[in-house]
Amino acid sequence: MKPELTKTTRRSFLKTTGVIAGATTLGLPQIVSPRVFGANNRITLGHIGVGGMGGFHLREMVKRMGSGEVNIAAVCDADEKRLANAWKTAGAQAEVYRDYRYLIQRKDIDAVVIGTPDHWHAVQMVHAAECGKHVYVEKPACCTIEEGKAMIAAATANKVSVQVGSQGRSQPEAYAAHRYIASGMLGKVNKVTCWHYPSPSDDKPVADSAPPPELDWDLWLGPLAWRPYNARYCHGTFRWIMESGGGQIRDRGAHVMSNAMYFMNADHTGPATIEAKGTVPAKGLWDSAMEMEVTYQFKNPDWTLVWSQPGEKIPYFDETRKKKEGIRDGYGAVYHGDKDKLIVWVGDNQVYTEPKAVEFASKPGGVDVYKSPGHHDDWFNGIKTGKKTIMNIEAAVAVSNLTVLGNMSLILDRKLKWDHAKSEIIGDTEAHRMMSRPQRYPYVL
Amino acid sequence: MNAKELIEQIKNGDDKVRGAAWQAAGNAGSTAVRGLAELMFTGEQEVARAAKRALWKIVRYAGRPAGGDETKAVAKELVPLLASGDPNVRREFVWMLSEIGDSDAAPMIALLLNNPNLREDARAALQRIPGDTSLRSLKVALKNGAEDHKPAIAESLRVRGEKVKDFPNQKLVPRKQTAVKNPLAV
Repeated sequence: MKPELTKTTRRSFLKTTGVIAGATTLGLPQIVSPRVFGANNRITLGHIGVGGMGGFHLREMVKRMGSGEVNIAAVCDADEKRLANAWKTAGAQAEVYRDYRYLIQRKDIDAVVIGTPDHWHAVQMVHAAECGKHVYVEKPACCTIEEGKAMIAAATANKVSVQVGSQGRSQPEAYAAHRYIASGMLGKVNKVTCWHYPSPSDDKPVADSAPPPELDWDLWLGPLAWRPYNARYCHGTFRWIMESGGGQIRDRGAHVMSNAMYFMNADHTGPATIEAKGTVPAKGLWDSAMEMEVTYQFKNPDWTLVWSQPGEKIPYFDETRKKKEGIRDGYGAVYHGDKDKLIVWVGDNQVYTEPKAVEFASKPGGVDVYKSPGHHDDWFNGIKTGKKTIMNIEAAVAVSNLTVLGNMSLILDRKLKWDHAKSEIIGDTEAHRMMSRPQRYPYVL
Repeated sequence: MNAKELIEQIKNGDDKVRGAAWQAAGNAGSTAVRGLAELMFTGEQEVARAAKRALWKIVRYAGRPAGGDETKAVAKELVPLLASGDPNVRREFVWMLSEIGDSDAAPMIALLLNNPNLREDARAALQRIPGDTSLRSLKVALKNGAEDHKPAIAESLRVRGEKVKDFPNQKLVPRKQTAVKNPLAV
């Protein structure tokens, strides 16, 4: 039986989920001064990191360049092969750079898109903000707690609009799921369980070697401690190394748990405790967990978030649509309320939920939530109007901290206590010291 | 598992035996440190890696809130390992000490500020280790250290809350030129 919508107002939903008074889901507050661009309102972009997701963003922005919405003035990468390819994609008007610091110091560039590996996100975002650039940075936002604090401080101090690439929030069916939950259709949601297939192990380890000639290994490593090049380290395989990629939890966790925090209206909160268990590869370079389970316990309001690799996979219910649209149902989350539950599949550029949420129609005066025009468009709106983006830096750091703390609990093999108000680990000297990891000069925050 | 058993299992040719051993190494304690370090220096690739991971397990177990004297004992075993050998192995010891080391470890780490291969790791560790000894080491390095390393030392001192007038941060100074030629011009 469906609960009646009229029995759950927005106010009562916020009360039942314990959301702090004044928190908003519909209208995101203004954080930066609206900027005035040229008469054509065109935004001039620079792209830093143009392989992988960085390449995806570049291609997307090239499409927008045709309509005069943006101009791509520069592309940058530490890999010269990737850089040469990106130049072909971006067009002859673009300048190319190996070192992003040339790019961020150009006065004509309004905003940058950062698609580098995780260990570069914080440093490059902070540096770009300090040069007055608006920033779209790939997820996860940060690799350490201190990096996250620096990112928030830089965005605030320099009044720039930041969008972090957990684009699941901007998907149409994410809006449907969010609205359904916010309307109280599940009752009080007290648990969210995520599933995701395991990380791989490195079954073909190789010895360290000289880097390929096209790769500036020093620049690629950037803030990380020096280590010799290893062919199993990059490009995409950085994901399976703890110091750089952090495994599935930092990759897809930054999507699936981003949606969970958003739907639970928990963006400005954090867990009280974090406890992880898992297994890591017995050999090889990769050291991120293959299987793991992390339990995050939130207080006031009380609810539990569980990240599981593999967890309990729930296949998408519509085989025809799954095949037609290539739905990757290897990950997702279940929202458990005291009246009902809701399944949300995938979480990144694909988000799907159950028909009861998609077909749900709010009655006049019922609860509604913010509907993103699309993740890139939401960022452009943020730049032009000064309104907070849907995955603003504060929200993104809160999500990223979940992934950082989950991995930290795993490698320390103990439960951690977290003081969200102070953004610090309590009662554990070693873990507290690990909240920051000094970076290799000059690639510092 | 005692230290001797751990070392034997880390040397085992079977990945599964080695993998299980290093993952269970946490409570092997300070007596296993030297043996594992030796395997890190001399062992075949996967044996050396397993030894490194076992040692990290020991460090992190020793650093637990109830670690007490064990933390100090493990750190004490790590300090002499900084003296010589492959810098890529010693780098691990520096970072281990950055997590559990105290003022007793700082002087030996500070000596590595003169080593071109390890000075950045040593600086990072001294930045991370609380207390007057690590801070004093950084101050001495700013005065007497290699000129080209002073901006980095100055940055660590600023992170530690010190006011340093000279050596402004160079983080935004571009340094690297691309060799890519415009493919569209061809």
